Amino acid sequence: MKDVSKRDRTARERARQIVAAQKRAQERRKRLLMAAGAVGLVLVVFVVLIVVKVSGGGPSKTAAPAVSDSASVAAVVQRVTTVPPDVLDKIGAGKVDQLPKVITGQPRLAVNGKPLVLYFGAEYCPFCAAQRWPMVIALSRFGTFTGLKVTHSAADDSYPNTPTLSFHGATYTSDYLVFQGVETTTNLRQGNGYEPLDQPTADQQALVAKYDAPPYVDSESAGTIPFVDFANKAVQSGSSYGPPTLAGMTPQQVADALSDPTDSVAQAIDGTANAITALLCQITGNQPGNVCSGAAVKAYAGKFNGVSPN
Amino acid sequence: MVSVRTKPVAVPAWLPIVSLALAVAGLLVAGYLTIEHFTASTTLACPETGVVNCTKVTTSEQSKVLGIPVAVLGLVFFVPMVIACLPRLWRDQRPAVRYGRLGLAGLGVVFVFYLVYAELFVIDAICLWCTAVHVLTVALFAVIAFGSALASPPR
Repeated sequence: MKDVSKRDRTARERARQIVAAQKRAQERRKRLLMAAGAVGLVLVVFVVLIVVKVSGGGPSKTAAPAVSDSASVAAVVQRVTTVPPDVLDKIGAGKVDQLPKVITGQPRLAVNGKPLVLYFGAEYCPFCAAQRWPMVIALSRFGTFTGLKVTHSAADDSYPNTPTLSFHGATYTSDYLVFQGVETTTNLRQGNGYEPLDQPTADQQALVAKYDAPPYVDSESAGTIPFVDFANKAVQSGSSYGPPTLAGMTPQQVADALSDPTDSVAQAIDGTANAITALLCQITGNQPGNVCSGAAVKAYAGKFNGVSPN
Repeated sequence: MVSVRTKPVAVPAWLPIVSLALAVAGLLVAGYLTIEHFTASTTLACPETGVVNCTKVTTSEQSKVLGIPVAVLGLVFFVPMVIACLPRLWRDQRPAVRYGRLGLAGLGVVFVFYLVYAELFVIDAICLWCTAVHVLTVALFAVIAFGSALASPPR
């Protein structure tokens, strides 16, 4: 009798253990299913976001009004291309974050015997917008621009609507230099990028591929714009000062500020122009003399050692 | 005085290793983005393509929440996450630890939803470093969700 009751107890205990184990396994399955459901839900949300985006969702494209009034454009261009030399002399080194980097051992870049300066950028890019002002000021001391346009960086990019000029369609003549400006896109959206504009030549593409890359520029800047090749004597990837300097300004306000040596905008733009001028003087063999002997250029004496005209 | 000895939770061997590795990776990337934010060492240049554009993302209005840089919030998220993914805490069966870790991971995913939405539909650009943090956060959530299911103590 005792044996029977002991066997019953053991059987009941085993049955309880089996039921408990089944219950645990069931709970574990339930927890795993819940985990899989949660992870699946997360993935579904991402898929929905991506599908909606790819099928055309996104911010509406807006663009700030471009300066199209020909009198205003002419006034801005006039002020930028004729910044008084005494203002540039007073500015001296100004306030510049990044200078062109001297490179050595490369064949001199020239067209018809004149050193070539290649600018490679895009109208959407706010850093290109910042860099064009000093480029125009400096180059205008060695030659003459025609056809410069007044515009702004993209309205939907970082530092939106940074006021600027554009090299697209502009021509430059000089006794000392050749300048080529390539603007690869406009500032207007097209698909995931911006509307294409200038098609670089094979030679220009080869120069950018070679020199907008290490060891000529640091790896962080490789392939970025604006990129400027100063006759293969120096290169610059990126702007010399930040676009926030020009935040909220109209092209007219920027142009007006350039003639005030105390203005922070002039310190950045004119200071950069003086640096570029000093570099170009090294490349042209200090021609023209009246530009290359000025205090503006002397402020950068020694910064571009090793750069020679040949 | 009565003391109850509880058995430690049986944790799959891969769980602490994988979760900790993801959390540490997230902490490192978030740390990098935070340093970049405060040292302003971003390159003064644009990428040649418009879609992948870290500067546009990190200088957008959405790069801060209540005035706090998102990069810092990422760091604030991953520091406790690294601690919560330590092997010792995976073996800890206290509900506060288990649900706290799972809740934190879930909170991270919800925030990633917002950030991805902002990148795709408001900023219209993607930052690859930010995307790396997003992927790590979601992967961490998946590992913690399955890990919590596997490592839950029997009732």
